[in-house]
Amino acid sequence: MHSNRKNSAHFFINAATVAAELSVVLTEAKNISLEAMNAKALVARAGDNVRTFKPITDFMVELANDTIWLVKEINREALVLSRTSLAELHSSDAHNRFKRAQQKASLAPYGDTIDTIAAEASNTHHQQAMQLRRHMRKLFELLDEIESRMLAANVVTATSRLEAATAADSYQASLEGIVIKLEKAANRIKHIASKCRRSLER
Amino acid sequence: MMKVVKLHESRSHEWLVFGRDEERPSKIIDTNQYMIKTTNHAIMLDPGGIELFSAMLAAVVHHVPINQITHLFASHQDPDIISSLGLWDKTLPHAELYAPWLWEGFLRHFGCNSIRYNPLPDEGKSIRLDEVELQFIPAHYMHSSGNFSVYDPQAKILMSGDIGAALLPDNAPLFVEDFDAHVDKMRLFHQRWMPSNRAKKDWVRRVRQLEIEYLAPQHGAIFKGRDVQRFLDWLDELEVGTGVSAR
Repeated sequence: MHSNRKNSAHFFINAATVAAELSVVLTEAKNISLEAMNAKALVARAGDNVRTFKPITDFMVELANDTIWLVKEINREALVLSRTSLAELHSSDAHNRFKRAQQKASLAPYGDTIDTIAAEASNTHHQQAMQLRRHMRKLFELLDEIESRMLAANVVTATSRLEAATAADSYQASLEGIVIKLEKAANRIKHIASKCRRSLER
Repeated sequence: MMKVVKLHESRSHEWLVFGRDEERPSKIIDTNQYMIKTTNHAIMLDPGGIELFSAMLAAVVHHVPINQITHLFASHQDPDIISSLGLWDKTLPHAELYAPWLWEGFLRHFGCNSIRYNPLPDEGKSIRLDEVELQFIPAHYMHSSGNFSVYDPQAKILMSGDIGAALLPDNAPLFVEDFDAHVDKMRLFHQRWMPSNRAKKDWVRRVRQLEIEYLAPQHGAIFKGRDVQRFLDWLDELEVGTGVSAR
């Protein structure tokens, strides 16, 4: 009973923390989007000189948009999880208090009049616990998704580096700058996503 | 186990007081809860804090089936009075709560989704449960700014909320046995919790007009017979609101 209460309290605090942490990810995702726009402009200006960079900029735009969408989803789910775990905590508390009253009233002439309410409280608690598990699963799936996107981003930065190295001198520095920024943003997002996962698993 | 004492029994109704719960967590203040049981109804007066809920529910079903409890009353908004509201709301979804209008938006924070909140106007109100009339007597600023006592003219009982409260050790007697000795245990409570001499005088003046056999506070011991008048005399003379001079 105590470990359940502890878990719910823990989720409700940590889910709220996850939502707060994710605001940083959103900023990073917006940075990727901005860099993608810069890259697109550069590619358009450079024409054939950096033609091979075009699919990379397209990927960056897609990555930024997907990340922004995912972060919004995770944020929404984290807030739902926070609310659900709080409701689970309350339902667990009510369930335990009704159970205690039932035990204390076992010999009372009207003790059985508590039974229906105690059963309802137990049922509500069971449903809340199931809902909590469902939302937890969903949140982990979304975190998995964002982490796998960032792994893909790492592969793309490696390819981009090679492409930047082969570009004309006048564009090389700018392209490398874009790649570095993309890499930094992806690493930061990956770091925060793992931190969020750890705090939920704790 | 919570102690239960019958204060009054007649053909029309019973008054019960619940308190001195031995399993109460030591750091929470002891409280007296009251229940009036009529032929078809029951009302709980200041049903208590959330920590007492299980003990209170278990004690109540020794006397009435749950569905007979149709009314609740909260003298004011304090947690030891009514923080159990959210759980009573699940237990008695069809019940009605009588409480000061002033505290409606505040009391709803405890959870009041199903129970109907009947806001008591400042001037008070009477209700009838079967053959029993109950009067909600204004006791504003005694100590809360929206506050009521409950008077039963048939049983001659005044449930006074925090007025007459005393800070007593565990397992103290439920009735005042030695008024002079008891005064020491309630002086600080009244001087520090009651803010207004004017409100106090006004309440004492109005209550003196009632015929009271038992004056039943929410903490401490119950006054009976001549001790009721002695208490009113003592309170009338007492200077309250002393917190303002603390430095």
